[in-house]
Amino acid sequence: MTREKFAAVCRKLSSRDNHALTEKLLSAVKTHRAKHNTPKLSVVWIETNDSGDNNISFMNTTFPYLGRVFAEMIDLLYSNTFMAAQGTKALAVLERAAAMQYGPFTLVVEGAIPVKDDGLYCAVARTQDRYITAFEAVTRFGKLAEHVVAVGTCASFGGPSAARPNITGSVGLSKVLPRKIINVSGCPVNPDWFVGTLAHLLMYGRPELDRFNRPALFYGFTVHRHCQRRSYFDKKDFADKLGDIECMFSKGCMGPKTGADCPYRQWVDHVNWPVKANTPCIGCTNEDFPDGSSPFFTSLSVKSPEHE
Amino acid sequence: MKTQRIIFSPVTRLSGLLSVEVTVEKNRVKEAYAGSTMFRGYEWIMRDRHVTDAVYMTQRVCGICSLAHGAVSSYLLDDLYDNDIPENAHYLRNIMFAADFLQNHIRHFYLFSLPDYVRMPDRPPFHEQDITDVRLVEKDNRLLVEHYFAAVKAAQRSHEILAVFGGKAPHQHSFVHGGAAVSPTADKVNRALALIDSINRFIKDCMIPDTALIARVYNDYFHIGITPRRLLSFGLFRFGAKNDRVLWKGGVLSDDKLDPPEVKLIETDVTRSWFEDANVNNLTGRQPEPAPYKPDAYTWVKSVLYGGRHFEVGPLARMIINRRYDGGTSTMDRICARSLETMLIGELLENWLTKLEPGPPPIKQKTSPVKSEAVAVTDSMRGALLHSALLNGERVVGYEIITPTEWNFSPKDRQGRRGPVENALVDTAIPRPKMLFTVLGRIIRSFDPCLSCATHIINVKS
Repeated sequence: MTREKFAAVCRKLSSRDNHALTEKLLSAVKTHRAKHNTPKLSVVWIETNDSGDNNISFMNTTFPYLGRVFAEMIDLLYSNTFMAAQGTKALAVLERAAAMQYGPFTLVVEGAIPVKDDGLYCAVARTQDRYITAFEAVTRFGKLAEHVVAVGTCASFGGPSAARPNITGSVGLSKVLPRKIINVSGCPVNPDWFVGTLAHLLMYGRPELDRFNRPALFYGFTVHRHCQRRSYFDKKDFADKLGDIECMFSKGCMGPKTGADCPYRQWVDHVNWPVKANTPCIGCTNEDFPDGSSPFFTSLSVKSPEHE
Repeated sequence: MKTQRIIFSPVTRLSGLLSVEVTVEKNRVKEAYAGSTMFRGYEWIMRDRHVTDAVYMTQRVCGICSLAHGAVSSYLLDDLYDNDIPENAHYLRNIMFAADFLQNHIRHFYLFSLPDYVRMPDRPPFHEQDITDVRLVEKDNRLLVEHYFAAVKAAQRSHEILAVFGGKAPHQHSFVHGGAAVSPTADKVNRALALIDSINRFIKDCMIPDTALIARVYNDYFHIGITPRRLLSFGLFRFGAKNDRVLWKGGVLSDDKLDPPEVKLIETDVTRSWFEDANVNNLTGRQPEPAPYKPDAYTWVKSVLYGGRHFEVGPLARMIINRRYDGGTSTMDRICARSLETMLIGELLENWLTKLEPGPPPIKQKTSPVKSEAVAVTDSMRGALLHSALLNGERVVGYEIITPTEWNFSPKDRQGRRGPVENALVDTAIPRPKMLFTVLGRIIRSFDPCLSCATHIINVKS
């Protein structure tokens, strides 16, 4: 499959009855790997200040399910969530990755990086004599990695971990790592966005990115553009309350300024998304989430008047 | 006598970041220090926000039990706004809550816990598995590895039920104050029924027999990792227009005496936590500020006490208090109680789906609060969870959260007394030095730790 075709398939998106994206994606990866004799993508996944929702969302991947992602796409060398190794053996794996003993790797960072007070608000591990802070770990491995992926909005932009008043001084990865970072934002990330990005890296390298350094494949259009309730908006037919079937703009919907394909792709095997559940989109993929979306149930024209 | 100081870090296969320090003397754990190494400060984040932001905002405290925070903050708002919850919403809400429970318990048993007892395939992410005590015969081992991957699907399906009604998962959208915003249409119910049928078959055909197998082969763990029999639960699954009917009762079990929990008896202690020492126990008072350089502190978790004592919370506490489990307070008891609870919750979920009346969204939100402070409690996957808020109008002045992992992973209090996990670790015999992490890992994971949740400030109104 060519890079252009792959992008076209991703753009076509998926729906409940048609697993075109992911089914095609996995078979494309398989063919590509066989043809080019490509090894699986080696991944070092460092969890920092976050809620762990992105690794949970990753577990929700369907077509391919998690087992096939591990078997056919990635070698997850280090992950606080999944790895069988623990304690000093786990840290030894990290050191071997740093010594490039597994070859080139992709760094995945999940969570924001606190920089205040020497970064002590988050330590990824502790040795006999000191704490290894998130800051130290991501700057060290960020320099060594072939690609760097920030998964979720905390790692991409700071997210909820950096919400005001941000007493831990948390920032997104790009603020501490001066290199190109692929931001796969979302709170949590949709597993298709993340697995799709990994597949692209494996086959073609870095995908085309938008102005927030997110793969344009998934974040290129606003939620508003593809929303099933767009006709209500155009007719100014707004919901009075949560639970209504009309446009959720009046209830704080961030769709008009949120880049994501939720209306099509939807969540957890593509079954639903917030507006379909009669609630507003809260703009969780945005650079200014959550502060730019809060108060969540106040109309965008009130909470952010420039979008009137 | 030679005392060894050992750092067990990172303790992998859990939610969040945990490092445990132990001292070992004559092949026995002499002392233990469970240290959470992450802090985000949601209580500060909630301040000055509109109180109705609480449901979506506090779900971001935790990825694996997000709905529990959404649920308890909805109960809190129901109280503040004096909502009357429609009957259909009781079922819808509990269906969503139950689905998140199934997801959590299945993932904990298979993805987090299983590699403590089963030899996994020697490829990432299972390479360098540090398992020094494998006892399963080849055939059983192979079967359990297969079930690991079957569990991936069963847990995904559990979250699919949540997404069908909640919009997405984690961090669902429709379980909010006043009820549930989604319509329980016949197609959604049918879809959920098909999903729960396959999940329940997985629980009965795999999870229960697998738990029984592990419990039989590793039965010495019924005598390892024992906590004092002090158990606490806030109760689970709320019904009634005012969330006032609790299906599984709360209780405080101490010295074989069972009493209802009283929020006013809860206090916190930051003697060994990275916070300024402060003796404040009310919502309006000054909160202790983080103090990351504090000497002698070793964790971002605070010590939580009830009536001046540490209590264990979680499925085991819930099951014993509700007389659904008759056993001890060991590592294997915690694992067995969690699996049995998974089966009971799967059955409840299926039953509640049949009680739903297809129809419009069962939600009635009142528009302004009738009081300025409230406390709400429930049990979550890991045990007792509390949210409380103090308002000025609809604006949050103070918001407090006490999570189950804070109870279980309490550091030593001002009197030097250990919390449940530290208690469970101390005095454990380590048959061979190489087995240290294997044994400690089994004990620690039986509590299903979630440090993302645990690192919060708390101050309960006295």
